[in-house]
Amino acid sequence: MEIATLNLNMLGLLPEIVLLTMACLILVIDAYLPKHQRYLTYQLTQGTLIGTALLIFASFPEQRVLAMNDMFISDPMGAVLKLFIVLMVFFAFIYSREYLRDRNILKGEYFVLGLFAVLGMMIMVSAHSLLTVYLGLELLSLSLYTMIAMHHKSQTASEAAMKYFVLGAIASGMLLYGMSMLYGVTGTLDLTRLAQTINQIANDHTVSVAILEKISEIKNDNIAVIAIGQQITENAGGATAAIAQILSENTDNTAAIAAIKPIIDQTMQSYTILLFGLVFVIIGVAFKLGAVPFHVWIPDVYQGAPTAVTLFIASAPKIAAFAMLMRLLVDGLQGLQVDWQNILILLSILSMATGNIIAIAQTNIKRMLAYSTIAHVGYLMLGVLTGTQEGYAASMFYVVVYALMTLGAFGMIILLSRAGFEADQLDDFKGLNERNSWYAALMLIVMLSMAGMPPMIGFWAKWSVLAQVIDAGFIWLAIVAVMFAIIGAFYYLRIIKLMYFEKAEDKTPIEANIDMRIALSANALIILLLGIMPQTLMVVCLGALGVS
Amino acid sequence: MIKITFYLFALILIFAASRVITVKNPVHAALFLVLAFFSSAAIWLLLQAEFLAIALILVYVGAVMVLFLFVLMMLDINVNSLREGFVRHFPIAAFVGAVILLEIILVIGAWHKLPTPEAATALAAVPNTQALGMVLYTEYVYPFEIAAAILLVAMIAAIALTMRPHTRAKYQKPEEQVSVRREDRIKIVKMPSETKD
Amino acid sequence: MQNVALIIVLAPLVGAIIAGLFPVSRRFAHRVTISAVGLSFFLSLYVFYQIVFGGHEIFNETLYTWLVAGNISLEIGFMIDSLTALMMVVVTFVSWMVHIYTIGYMRDDPGYQRFFSYINLFTFSMLMLVMSNNFVQLFFGWEAVGLVSYLLIGFWYTRETAIYANLKAFLVNRVGDFGFILGIAAVLMTFNSLSYTEVFGLAQAGNYEQTISIFSGTEWSAMTVICILLFIGAMGKSAQFPLHVWLPDSMEGPTPISALIHAATMVTAGIFMVARMSPLFELSETALSFVLVIGAITAFFMGILAIVQNDIKRVVAYSTLSQLGYMTVALGASAYAAGIFHLMTHAFFKALLFLGAGSVIIAMHHEQDMRKMGGLKKYLPITYWTMLIGSLALIGFPGFAGFFSKDAIIEAAHHAYEAERAGAFFAYYAVLLGVFITALYTFRMFFLTFHGKERMDEHTREHLHETPSVVTGPLIALAIPSIFIGMFTISPLLFGHYFDGAIFVEAAHNAFAGHESHSSVAWMIISFIGHGLLQPPFWLALFGFGTAYYFYMIRPDLPGEIVKNIEVPYKILLDKYGFDRFNDWFFAGGARRVGDKFWKMGDIKTIDGLINGTANTIGWFSSVARNVQTGMLYHYAFAMIIGLAVLLGTFVIL
Repeated sequence: MEIATLNLNMLGLLPEIVLLTMACLILVIDAYLPKHQRYLTYQLTQGTLIGTALLIFASFPEQRVLAMNDMFISDPMGAVLKLFIVLMVFFAFIYSREYLRDRNILKGEYFVLGLFAVLGMMIMVSAHSLLTVYLGLELLSLSLYTMIAMHHKSQTASEAAMKYFVLGAIASGMLLYGMSMLYGVTGTLDLTRLAQTINQIANDHTVSVAILEKISEIKNDNIAVIAIGQQITENAGGATAAIAQILSENTDNTAAIAAIKPIIDQTMQSYTILLFGLVFVIIGVAFKLGAVPFHVWIPDVYQGAPTAVTLFIASAPKIAAFAMLMRLLVDGLQGLQVDWQNILILLSILSMATGNIIAIAQTNIKRMLAYSTIAHVGYLMLGVLTGTQEGYAASMFYVVVYALMTLGAFGMIILLSRAGFEADQLDDFKGLNERNSWYAALMLIVMLSMAGMPPMIGFWAKWSVLAQVIDAGFIWLAIVAVMFAIIGAFYYLRIIKLMYFEKAEDKTPIEANIDMRIALSANALIILLLGIMPQTLMVVCLGALGVS
Repeated sequence: MIKITFYLFALILIFAASRVITVKNPVHAALFLVLAFFSSAAIWLLLQAEFLAIALILVYVGAVMVLFLFVLMMLDINVNSLREGFVRHFPIAAFVGAVILLEIILVIGAWHKLPTPEAATALAAVPNTQALGMVLYTEYVYPFEIAAAILLVAMIAAIALTMRPHTRAKYQKPEEQVSVRREDRIKIVKMPSETKD
Repeated sequence: MQNVALIIVLAPLVGAIIAGLFPVSRRFAHRVTISAVGLSFFLSLYVFYQIVFGGHEIFNETLYTWLVAGNISLEIGFMIDSLTALMMVVVTFVSWMVHIYTIGYMRDDPGYQRFFSYINLFTFSMLMLVMSNNFVQLFFGWEAVGLVSYLLIGFWYTRETAIYANLKAFLVNRVGDFGFILGIAAVLMTFNSLSYTEVFGLAQAGNYEQTISIFSGTEWSAMTVICILLFIGAMGKSAQFPLHVWLPDSMEGPTPISALIHAATMVTAGIFMVARMSPLFELSETALSFVLVIGAITAFFMGILAIVQNDIKRVVAYSTLSQLGYMTVALGASAYAAGIFHLMTHAFFKALLFLGAGSVIIAMHHEQDMRKMGGLKKYLPITYWTMLIGSLALIGFPGFAGFFSKDAIIEAAHHAYEAERAGAFFAYYAVLLGVFITALYTFRMFFLTFHGKERMDEHTREHLHETPSVVTGPLIALAIPSIFIGMFTISPLLFGHYFDGAIFVEAAHNAFAGHESHSSVAWMIISFIGHGLLQPPFWLALFGFGTAYYFYMIRPDLPGEIVKNIEVPYKILLDKYGFDRFNDWFFAGGARRVGDKFWKMGDIKTIDGLINGTANTIGWFSSVARNVQTGMLYHYAFAMIIGLAVLLGTFVIL
């Protein structure tokens, strides 16, 4: 038995390798650091993130390059998404440090786990095999579960971690089951080969359906069925070629039908099982994204987890989940686009409806933002379901913008919280303008952006996905989306009303570190500035997907 | 002969698996789970996947389940409260379960008509322990490394979640005992004397 | 060039941001803003030199693509040709002078920093407008100057009249802007592009749909529709009849603003825009006639109103309206160069007059009624002499700046009349008679203010003295171009090739084609003056001056007598032909009545019933639906399983 020729091409993985090495190093260094020097862990972590970002930037791929025996892919989309993931986590760590210290959970492990989560996300983004998608997802999820549970003293955090863990395990199980179905039919885990096989089967399926229809129409017409054979090109391959072969050899109608029947049956069954696998795979992704009805974990986990962790979960992993969606559905299952389009439409409408409507009744802002996330996920899927490169770019734009806005919103909650006090009620935002007008203005920007009002970037995000949906011919879907956006605007505007038109109950001055203040201000101002110049980000997204 | 053996183990597997969720005693449930693992290991053996069969027994039965049993026996779980609502929810759960089962049967029922995928047969030529060994560190080195990272995270998680500061350990600090002052121990509270109403 | 252009535009913006958002101190605010505009001015001079003398080719580049929507791309870019360069210099120079003047005028105002921030922002917006190379940026600048104008008219926002005035300005401009944006939309629809060069190129080549169907069944010439719609925008911004009503009221703003925005720069944006669009307007004879008639009406009738005003600033304001009318007549007569020429000279002498009026107002402790002035000559010598220069320039006294530009316009109107353009007969006589009226009201104001009896109260008289040098400095600086700018620029602007490539005139429409002379420049100017002395405008102006002198110096009692005899026409004039009253009654009142109806029918019945009903339903549904989220783990797991069952059932089995 010969050893397979290896194509490792490890240079493309340099950012991942460095990240992993540094994470291990930091883990060891942290264990030996005296207590008063623990801040070094934080600085090392941030340094690692910057280094990783620089490496990603330096090794920015011009086109698709495969590595690690075709299990790893580096392409422009992946590199851009990774850059944003690292950026979001960088910001998230800045926001969380003080919060964690106040609650006595500032531990080296937190940052190490964070780095491992980043590694998991990067693996997902660069996955080119069902196996690596799954492993990256598990690495990410496991880190997240632990990060939530690390707040021992909080009953709700432990509960949230438990729920997330159990539901996540169920979702992972479904994802794996779906992948095993796909493997069963196609015999490959590699996404490119998977796509080829599935295209073949989908093509065969279309032909088979056409033939079945013809057969039921023409009954005993001798020539007609055979005539179909002439229409099929023999170089189509797969079952189609086999059918064409049989039809060209046979002159007798009944015999021909009898001969092609088993092939057609087999094609139809393969296709059904593919669909079956597809549904399970989509559930796995939908869980990670938080699309209804696989969103159930989101409100409880967002609310229960320490805000710093919520911030982490809500931002970067969504970008990774988008990448997963792209890798699985677009890179791997493009052949089933007609089918997953319908599934995504259903999930998208359900998400927009559920998220926007239930958010109205919330009094806890973390929970409200959780439902807002669910709604945003609905909009995010609108771009992908069009099945065009421009649509994918619009969704990519949306997910990046969403992560930015979420970061800002949860950052504000962290800012208002202090030792022994969680600013997680809507009422905690009352009269913020009186207490500090600058922070109120920042929150105003974030909320307006989430509601999708110009000139914030959130408007352009919604606009671009809606434009793509309309281009794809789903005007009704765009109308539905806009209706729910209007309903959704209510609860964002309510926060603005609370901040500007109500009296402050809590007059404690708002204090924060300088790095936190700068980062938060930058975060909100980026939302505004990008809103004024949306083309900057749009060009990046379009370029990443090869649309110019 | 193989068919009879297969159906025997399959029946045991289904029986054991359903008992896991129906028996009242969690220890019994765990034991049924062990039985289920055994049966599936046996089915793997029938499929000539001896490595997986052995790994399943060694890892799950030998290590995981034993640990599980220890924990179950140490924690005195109140079984009755866990089972509340089981009867109430059973009909609807059974209905949904039945629907999904039906759907799966509809789809998978046709499986045998499919050609056997090439990948599964290709390995049959060599013992699959050897076959795994050939590819694990070469072709699959990347997933293997990721799996290693996952395990590392699991270790960190286990330590981070279970290790608490040593508050439970009781020990003396003589220097503090010596330097104690009256003010540290006694607090004098002035109160108005009670008057009779 | 690109970097220089960027600095010119961005320097005032940065200044506005610094002065507005970081209120360090008053001195800091004016230093920052004045140096920003000063920088823009000198760089504009440099650009002007490069373009006009340095032989630099026309700069036309897109700097940033703001947004691409379908096949339309919205861009930010600059086009700098001779027209733009001229406008840049005028705008930055006047703005710079006004900035300096403001230090004195606003000395005691609590909103000092805010004011400087606004006028800097205005300079930025105006530069964006004139330097644009596409319609979108033009519209941005257009709206931005409108916004700043709104903010500045209402600068003293505690005064009710100021709030009324700025609201009025805003609403009236909205009417114009509506036309303008429809015009831009029509351009986009017809040419499928928003870039100047592309649109002009296509228009000149005739590559476009010739007609637009606005209502089904009617076909309109596309070019006429576009031009008239664009001109409606210009009517709002440049206060042309009947959208002129906001400009007199805008005098509620501080005087520097009246000088900068409502006399010298912003109101000329409409003129500039039409000149810029000359390749389009030249293609529609109908639109040009429309422009011509509107301009003539404004020039003549608004001038008459100036005669009956008693507020010194209002006189200047109506005079501005009338002069804008002159510029519009020039545009309508295809003499775009003459329009721009008058725009430039007017910018200098009108800014001078406004600032002079402001100087008087400062000296009079913010008294604006001319009936309470008189005999100020001896107290305010510098103001007196500079105002005299401004007035002479305004009435078109031979040799002064206004003389050349105004005569050129009258000449152009005459040419259009001879070329039998519709409405040109009326326009020609309107501008001709306008000269008499201009002279009359200008010197009425001048004599009432500086000569005759001293009618102010004792207290004011005691404190009368010349205004500080930051006020008189700009006056002198503006007086110099008010005398000479006409002389030195007429030859290249009107007869030379200055505007080649920037303004397009059909050969048949060109009023100055025959005048191209090969003799020396000096000889041409002298001959132009000499020619002017023999023409009716000069005599009309002289007659106007004489009338004013007779009425207000020799027989000051006479005007009162006359008014008594012609009470009805006088009332009409005081009522400004009743436009305000009509607008208030018809548009404002009508809108209120309609609104009231809609409120009763729409709001109370539909909104409160249906929409609030919907909102309540959603709220109720929301509070019910949230209960689904029970917090029980097995419920959650169960929800996912049901989701799985439904998806499988819908998409796989069926």
